[in-house]
Amino acid sequence: MIYELSHTTTYNYSDTVSLSHHLLRLQPRELTRQHCQDVDLKVDPAPGSLRTQTDYFGNQLTFVTVKGAHKRLTVAATSRVEVLATPPPSVEASPAWSLVRQQMLDQDPELAMEAGEFLYDSPQISLIPAFQEYAQASFPAGRPVLAAALDLTNRIYRDFKFDPKATTVATPLTEVLKHRRGVCQDFAHLEIAFLRSMGIPARYVSGYLETDPPPGKARLAGADASHAWLAFFCPGTGWIDLDPTNNLIPTNRHITLAWGRDYGDVSPIRGVILGSGEHSLKVAVDVIPADEPRFRF
Amino acid sequence: MMNAPTQTQSQSQSDEAGDMPGIFSGYVPRAGVYDELTTAGGEVRPHWRKLVGALDRLGREELTLRWDNARRIIREHGVTYNIYGDPQGMDRPWELDMVPLAIPPLEWQAIEAGLIQRARLLNLLLADVYGEQRLIREGDLPAPLVQANPGFLRPCHGLPVRGNIHLHLHAADLARAANGQWWVIADRTQAPSGAGYALENRIVLSRILPDEFRDCQVQRLASFFRVARETLRGLAPQNPENPSVVLLTPGPHNETYFEHDYLARYLGFTLVEGGDLTVRDQKVYIKTLEGLRRVDVILRRVDDNFCDPLELRGDSFLGVAGLVQAVRAGNVTVANALGTGLIEGAAFLPFLPGLCRRLLGEELKLPSAATWWCGQPKEREYVINNLEKLVVKPAFRAGGQEPFFGAAMTRANRAKLIEAIRERPYNFVGQERVALSTAPVWLNSKAELRPLVLRAYATAAADSFVVMPGGLTRISPATEDPIVSMQSGGGSKDTWVLSDGPVTKVSLLSSSGQPMSLGPSAAELPSRVADNLFWLGRYVERLEGTLRLLRCILLRLAGEAGADGSAEISALAHALVRRSLLPDRFAGRVSLKDLEQELLLLIYKPERFGSARQILGSVRSIASVVRDRFSFDTWSILNKMNIDARSRPRRIPVADALALLNTLILDLAAFNGMEMENMTRGLGWRFLDLGRRLERGMQQLGLFRATLSTSGKAGLLLEPVLEICDSLMTYRRRYFSGVQLTSVLELLVLDVGNPRGFAFQVAALAEHARHLPRETAAGAGNDELRQVVAMQKLLQSADMPRLAGTAEQGPDDALDTLLSDLMVELGMLSNHLTHHYFSHTVATVS
Repeated sequence: MIYELSHTTTYNYSDTVSLSHHLLRLQPRELTRQHCQDVDLKVDPAPGSLRTQTDYFGNQLTFVTVKGAHKRLTVAATSRVEVLATPPPSVEASPAWSLVRQQMLDQDPELAMEAGEFLYDSPQISLIPAFQEYAQASFPAGRPVLAAALDLTNRIYRDFKFDPKATTVATPLTEVLKHRRGVCQDFAHLEIAFLRSMGIPARYVSGYLETDPPPGKARLAGADASHAWLAFFCPGTGWIDLDPTNNLIPTNRHITLAWGRDYGDVSPIRGVILGSGEHSLKVAVDVIPADEPRFRF
Repeated sequence: MMNAPTQTQSQSQSDEAGDMPGIFSGYVPRAGVYDELTTAGGEVRPHWRKLVGALDRLGREELTLRWDNARRIIREHGVTYNIYGDPQGMDRPWELDMVPLAIPPLEWQAIEAGLIQRARLLNLLLADVYGEQRLIREGDLPAPLVQANPGFLRPCHGLPVRGNIHLHLHAADLARAANGQWWVIADRTQAPSGAGYALENRIVLSRILPDEFRDCQVQRLASFFRVARETLRGLAPQNPENPSVVLLTPGPHNETYFEHDYLARYLGFTLVEGGDLTVRDQKVYIKTLEGLRRVDVILRRVDDNFCDPLELRGDSFLGVAGLVQAVRAGNVTVANALGTGLIEGAAFLPFLPGLCRRLLGEELKLPSAATWWCGQPKEREYVINNLEKLVVKPAFRAGGQEPFFGAAMTRANRAKLIEAIRERPYNFVGQERVALSTAPVWLNSKAELRPLVLRAYATAAADSFVVMPGGLTRISPATEDPIVSMQSGGGSKDTWVLSDGPVTKVSLLSSSGQPMSLGPSAAELPSRVADNLFWLGRYVERLEGTLRLLRCILLRLAGEAGADGSAEISALAHALVRRSLLPDRFAGRVSLKDLEQELLLLIYKPERFGSARQILGSVRSIASVVRDRFSFDTWSILNKMNIDARSRPRRIPVADALALLNTLILDLAAFNGMEMENMTRGLGWRFLDLGRRLERGMQQLGLFRATLSTSGKAGLLLEPVLEICDSLMTYRRRYFSGVQLTSVLELLVLDVGNPRGFAFQVAALAEHARHLPRETAAGAGNDELRQVVAMQKLLQSADMPRLAGTAEQGPDDALDTLLSDLMVELGMLSNHLTHHYFSHTVATVS
């Protein structure tokens, strides 16, 4: 599939801002199953400086400074991304979960360099016994790690209710576990916490998901949203993506932007402004299949 | 490896050998513990003999006197260590013991070589972890030591590090075991504290024991700081001739703020807080009154994670947004390098011998206390099976947990700890308890025994490291207490490293405590500092005005209570009501006792708005954040001013209160004198004086409105007002007649030559306004000048005899109108200054 991607963020500030710095992770990663073209980033007002580099996790990171008084900032990222369908990983070929756990415990340097980062506490995911207690039911002795992970994904999908009003970016994971409500970011964090508690490396993935317009209706501009899921590591196979919000293994409808230990490592846009007032934020995302006729309002 | 010092048998002829001399009598070392002073046989070790003999000759009484002297110097220098949650809070005086720790030359050479090797090793370790990570790849370093370590800052991976110097300053805590061997029990690598306190300890002790210090041939510290300073300056990415170096502090609430300020002054660097710096185009600038000035090197005392809210912890208000980017672009050097906190945890200790062989091809010279990292199965089981012998500590320092002493734990707590270790083994280490060596401390006029830890320092030099010949010796608060830390309330000692021959003297300080050469960097005035100086000027003046007003009325209360006197008193009380200092009920008939008690509250009660004590509190807290702008002498005057918090201020005799007011007024005069005579006439002084003149003008206008333009009362209050304005003598000399309103107004409002008059303040403000920097903002300087000119015009057109004539007509009279117009102009002047020079933008993270 080829998608036209557009992700526009607009900040409105109540007071004039004299200087702002932003970190952007808005450029999709280049992967064997994902290729980007025509990557473009527009910042208004024009930035005093704009630099792109690769961060510790290999994501494209752009650093933008806007100087001079401004009351609004718009960041528009567009690109054309081709995502290839990949055959689903085979459950049978996947090793027993306890074997994966043991291999990671053995601290083999090669495995550690590949996945060790994603085994431990991270700033937004603190491993407490409650996570292991929940996860254990999916990890009976000898079960292949993929089967266990799929069961876990299914349980999250079943036990937790999608509710955008229930949480904010600041809601602790323990609250999500207690109230069993949240959004894709919460579910991704949860499943990562469950997997890490069992000794399986898991990382956070940010990106987009192609959504279907309501039957018989045209696609609305800006109606899509950022999405988040996770991937876990299986020695021999590599990283396998899981989407607990939709209970599936992502294929060619998921576009990968960036990954890291948790949301904090990959937030699409993060800024520090010099100014005292409030700000409001508007985000518009479009994920449009390139061959689809477009309707805009 | 280091050897225990030879235990010399004392058949020496020296009279100090043998029995413990007088002042140390009763000093008995504990069995099984190494004592610094005496051998197991109870004899004074050879390298202590000279010192012990000298102290003994001074005698108990003289030592106690000198100890008091030391405490006075510490108080006057304002040496403090803030202990979180301590009732003494911000102003806890630094604890320094009279008896230094003596270390003989040969023993020190071994420590020195060990510390240099350790700093080189840790520096290479950091370079690898923040670079290629070959140590992990090749199995020399277990990955979780880095990957599970909250001190590993991923945004700092791959940052360029100038000269490959990650550690500009390294500190190691050393403890001496029973066999005489020194062990490293902890490393401090991101922003080690204590070097400044060590220096201050030396300055104090060498002053109170000058002869002893000279005779013992103690190695000097100054050259160490000189190397530290030169290395830092040499790390500047640009501007090599005259680099701008700043010391970044978390601010006055930090436990070691005294030291930040002290080191900044000693080394000649500008002391800044995060808010003083800004990043533009990947370059770091300091916001000064004259615009942005480039910063080349940042010596930081802010922890790693708090240095940049953009790329590191977003909730930090202590850092500079964009700093990591500026480092990445190679435009600024941060020392120690960002991310160096990584290796502060004890988890690295067991791996150092192997890493030393691998990275340096040498054996580790200075051993670390035996440590087992629970991230390895065998080591974990050892720790769990030997809990009662070990201290269990967090593996990584950023974790912020307390150590557990296995032996002292209940069975249930031990089980809990074991569970926690099994859950996340990589987060724990077990460490052998080192029985700390002991040394004598001078307490209650006798020598007592206390356990100690020595913090030693190494600083990077051109191609290696240089060790401070000395260090900060910290003593535990109790004989048996195994925890030695300044936070838990222990004290400290100077550390005397003895030398074989005569010692050459090097100093960065002139006698006054100012750095020898002040680069232009030290002359820069951050806007925040200008703001604070302005308000210091205002509070100091407000305090003086309040003290004088209170003294005037208390004098009358204490003296005559006759008919005349009481009319004057009630008029003054009425004036205080109009100044909103007294409740409304004092406007009418008042009982003198009631008034007296209310006035005492107005002096002593800290929570009472406008009380002398409250204003003094403001003076002190604002002075403490601009301490680096004042000389030691000036600071000690401010430090000495005190209004005791009494539980029942109403019961204090009026005479005592008056004596206090007199003392404080004189102290303020001394402070003002120091400021006039000693402060360089730069922008800092200008803003301090602006604050003072503006406040004095406001105080005067308020006083005149409350007294002179009050119908019917003016006549009664002319003399008190002259007295409050310290102009009674001048008036009597100039006007032979009785006191008249017209003449009083001329002297106090119009006379430009009277420093206690209003016109004088306006003239001073005009002079300042003409010299304000004008490039800071549109209208800067000019708006202020316009305001002052407006006041001058109002004064020029004032017809005093006519105004005096109308003064009796009521509160809306022409005199009051003039005074209130002037008040409005002064208020606008203050607003302009705030807007142009002090408006701080706040950083917010989104």
